[in-house]
Amino acid sequence: MLRIGAVERLKGEPIFSADLKLDHPLTLNVLRSSRAHARIVKIDINGALNVKGVVKVFTASDVPGNNLTGIINKDRPLLVSDKVRFVGDSIAFVAAENEEAAEKGVHAINVVYEDLPAVFDPEEALKDSAPKIHEKGNLLFSRKVKKGNIDKAFENCQAVVEKTYQTSCLEHTYLEPDAGAGYVDGDGTIVIFASTQNPHYDHSEVVSILGVEDEKVRIIQAATGGGFGSKLDLNVQGFIGLALYHLKRPVRYVYTREEAFLATAKRHPLTMIMKTGADRNGKLLAMRARIICDTGAYASYGIAVASRSAVHATGPYEVENVDIEAHCVYTNKPFSGAMRGFGAPQMAFANESQMDLLAKELSMDPFEIRRVNIFRQGSETATGQKLTESIGILECLDAIQPYYKGAVKKWRTSEASPFKRKGVGIGAMWYGIGNTGMRNPSTARVEMDPAGAVTLYTGCADIGQGSTTVLAQIVAETLCLEADAIQLVVGDTKYTTNAGATSASRQTYISGNAVKEAAEKLRELLMTGAVDVLKVGKGSLMLDSGFVADSNDNAKRVSFSKLAARAYKKGLPFVCQGYFDPETVPLDPETGQGVPYSTYAFACHLAFVTVDTMTGEVRVEKVVAAHDVGKAIYPEGVIGQICGGVAMGVGFALMEEFMHGQTESMKDYFIPTCKDMPEVIPIIVESREPTGPFGAKGVGEPALIPTAPAILNALNDALGERIYSLPANLERVLEASIRSGCFGPKEAKNV
Amino acid sequence: MYAGLAYVRPEKLDEALEFLEEHGGETAVVAGGTDVMVDLRSGALQTGYLLDVSRLSELKGIAMQGEELWVGAGTTLSEIYSSETLALFAPALQKAAFTFGSKQVRNTATIAGNVVNASPSADTMPPLLIHEARVVLASSNGVRTVPVEAMSTGPYKSAIHPDEVITRFILKPAKSMLADFQKIARRKALAISRMNMAVMAEKDETGKIMFMRLALGSSTPTPRRMEDVEAFLLGKRPDRALLWEAGQVLAEKMVEITGRRPSTGYKEKAAQGLFMRMLYPLV
Repeated sequence: MLRIGAVERLKGEPIFSADLKLDHPLTLNVLRSSRAHARIVKIDINGALNVKGVVKVFTASDVPGNNLTGIINKDRPLLVSDKVRFVGDSIAFVAAENEEAAEKGVHAINVVYEDLPAVFDPEEALKDSAPKIHEKGNLLFSRKVKKGNIDKAFENCQAVVEKTYQTSCLEHTYLEPDAGAGYVDGDGTIVIFASTQNPHYDHSEVVSILGVEDEKVRIIQAATGGGFGSKLDLNVQGFIGLALYHLKRPVRYVYTREEAFLATAKRHPLTMIMKTGADRNGKLLAMRARIICDTGAYASYGIAVASRSAVHATGPYEVENVDIEAHCVYTNKPFSGAMRGFGAPQMAFANESQMDLLAKELSMDPFEIRRVNIFRQGSETATGQKLTESIGILECLDAIQPYYKGAVKKWRTSEASPFKRKGVGIGAMWYGIGNTGMRNPSTARVEMDPAGAVTLYTGCADIGQGSTTVLAQIVAETLCLEADAIQLVVGDTKYTTNAGATSASRQTYISGNAVKEAAEKLRELLMTGAVDVLKVGKGSLMLDSGFVADSNDNAKRVSFSKLAARAYKKGLPFVCQGYFDPETVPLDPETGQGVPYSTYAFACHLAFVTVDTMTGEVRVEKVVAAHDVGKAIYPEGVIGQICGGVAMGVGFALMEEFMHGQTESMKDYFIPTCKDMPEVIPIIVESREPTGPFGAKGVGEPALIPTAPAILNALNDALGERIYSLPANLERVLEASIRSGCFGPKEAKNV
Repeated sequence: MYAGLAYVRPEKLDEALEFLEEHGGETAVVAGGTDVMVDLRSGALQTGYLLDVSRLSELKGIAMQGEELWVGAGTTLSEIYSSETLALFAPALQKAAFTFGSKQVRNTATIAGNVVNASPSADTMPPLLIHEARVVLASSNGVRTVPVEAMSTGPYKSAIHPDEVITRFILKPAKSMLADFQKIARRKALAISRMNMAVMAEKDETGKIMFMRLALGSSTPTPRRMEDVEAFLLGKRPDRALLWEAGQVLAEKMVEITGRRPSTGYKEKAAQGLFMRMLYPLV
């Protein structure tokens, strides 16, 4: 089947926030801080009010409710009043009749700052002498995971590898810059269309900012052109809500690409000091990890990133003795938030490098060392969780191994130009589905109207990943209908119930289960109604494309519409609510022991790279990507996620680096183009998850995680020199080539 | 957004020149717009008029004129990409088009636009330099011809006068054993060159280099011919060690001209490396 909405997208029909036709909308423009850390002495808005076309200038004093926002901890003012904490902080905004007036208005606001000492390095920020960015200090959060006795275990190790890894700050670079628009409807409700990953969170946050009743705000997810985590934060919704609250006139706000770069979340740069030890058989005995996550000026999802990075530090391997600490630290840089993988991609780079280093120390094959340690049924994770079901990592490893053997035997030494070297590398990963040791339920509603038409109501934001298709398939499968027969109401807080964030690869698993429960309840109602009509016991009944039929006598059947009509007449509408919350056990604050997730996705990638030893240029030729998704409900969607994840992984590995004040837009921040894309061979592994809908888990973030580690291991394979900081750009690869002795007049070919 | 900006599109070159005679000082000439429109949006370019020369037929065409190879100023990179004449007589210029921007950019960007923008990393410059191109500039007062290396006086500083447009480039055609253009960039398309290089070379029957022209871009304030390297190699039999040494000469010359900068650590090695890679077919 075709993905739901694919044809409409192809024809350009979906309405994005910027496309909404509104009656003479006002345009908003935000004044962003030009200082990294400064007290605000005065905000003079008079100049702006004199600009023709400016209707109102908003400052913190215009916020009727709670000015502080944030999904996990509320530390970020919608509009700062006392001090700014990064270049880009929002100070005031202008509502004007047109874009030009809004921009002029912003320029005419005069802010008097008193600069404060700023700190940009997270390790500096942890020192007592560092300037305090927030009242509570610069250490936002620590996650510790401790088990066994590492000191003793390291003594028993044959090989111990200790290295420091560093990753870069990244911009998500989704296709559609942040945008929203809205109006006040006839009964005074504030209606906001937004490009968002979490309409129900937006709703609660706007309600909180405005201090109004829940019913007075309605958020509708407009067509959304990607998010990758950045559209989990409140980017435009708060400003639009505040303007609607005061002005009661239609409003729109569309970020430029530069604004999306300046003012939205980034990926946390991580420093990871890793010490890993193994015995002479390669069995991992101990790991010590110290992780610093630079969350910038505000927390956003920082706590989640620190927590997940600590929990995932071991990779998909058994390690009996661990001492892991992740510290999330404020600095005066742009805030870091959620980005595809929440710290797991960074950790996988460090951990998979460690695995190859240990293999080398022990003269082992990189597959062999992984095989020795990889999670199996009954394995215990670093948090003490026993894994019992759906552990497809070995199958993933097995799936890529033939490609590895072929590459080593033939491809690596095949004809290449004299100054090129080839390498292959493995990256493996595990990824806990859903939030870390926290409740994160989803709800859904499935209705059948008296005519028998089925509608799914879900608050789950489809931002391009395809959740709507999967959820409709689940309803259809449960009710024995075709997916395109299911009517859909998606992401509209007036009609849908909370499905939580489109993040943490959780929607197929968690919302899928909620949807399935609702559909099963409806199925049950249909069956019960049919028993009455057909006088046949439930055990003999089956669903058959719009009918309930006697499985022993197919002619004996009653249509859904008849059953629905009967029920409605009796005053029993076919409205079914579903709910699912994965079982987790919160992590102990000191030891991190607990059950952070109820299921995990697994994957292995194999990357083939060609390195130019003369210039540091790298070509990723091929990526073989095996993913255990439990069950691929929409296989085309899984493949799409894998290919997209590989593209993002190539960027993370080789070129992406957000430098504040230097990388202003896509002209100087490079993401891979189609010419940079390798051939991708996706392999779907289905190790059924008993608690998943039809056995499904998730793939959104896992798709990206193993790519960079595989590429970095392949670079090492090619050059015999390792790179410890991302991105592995021209400069770093050429340095590695020089260190390896490949740079010179002699041929560099693999031997 | 562009209030007060007037757009003018003459039908004939003469009309364009007349317009420039009067308004040249407050006019930006636009052809493909791949640089001008970006600067206009960012505010880096403030101008009263946009004079669109993209449809002037006088600026079009690639042809051999006797011993000279004429390339019209308004030739797009896509036209360069698919020109059989250039494949024969200026293959390095054609190769520059293969990796220039993206297909969308190549469809609209022109060779003269690339030269007038005067970016140190302009990809058409090294090939034009090795073909010892002359630039024909027209104004209402007549026509003048300048060597291409005199067209930029520094990064983003063009020597063109406000009342002039480039009408064509006159190249010395050359068929040589080796003719190549290569660039290094942070990704495989849509990326500004970190370094680019064009070379032509020919060996005599004894295996000695008898002809060579080399130009380097993105590494010096303006793209340059590297005559010292040419002189170093002329009359010698190329082997790996000699080329490596010549690459060293190139790197030293580059540092001498540009001075040491944060990027020098990479570039001095990459210059030697890229040179080795490009000249290696001579061994």
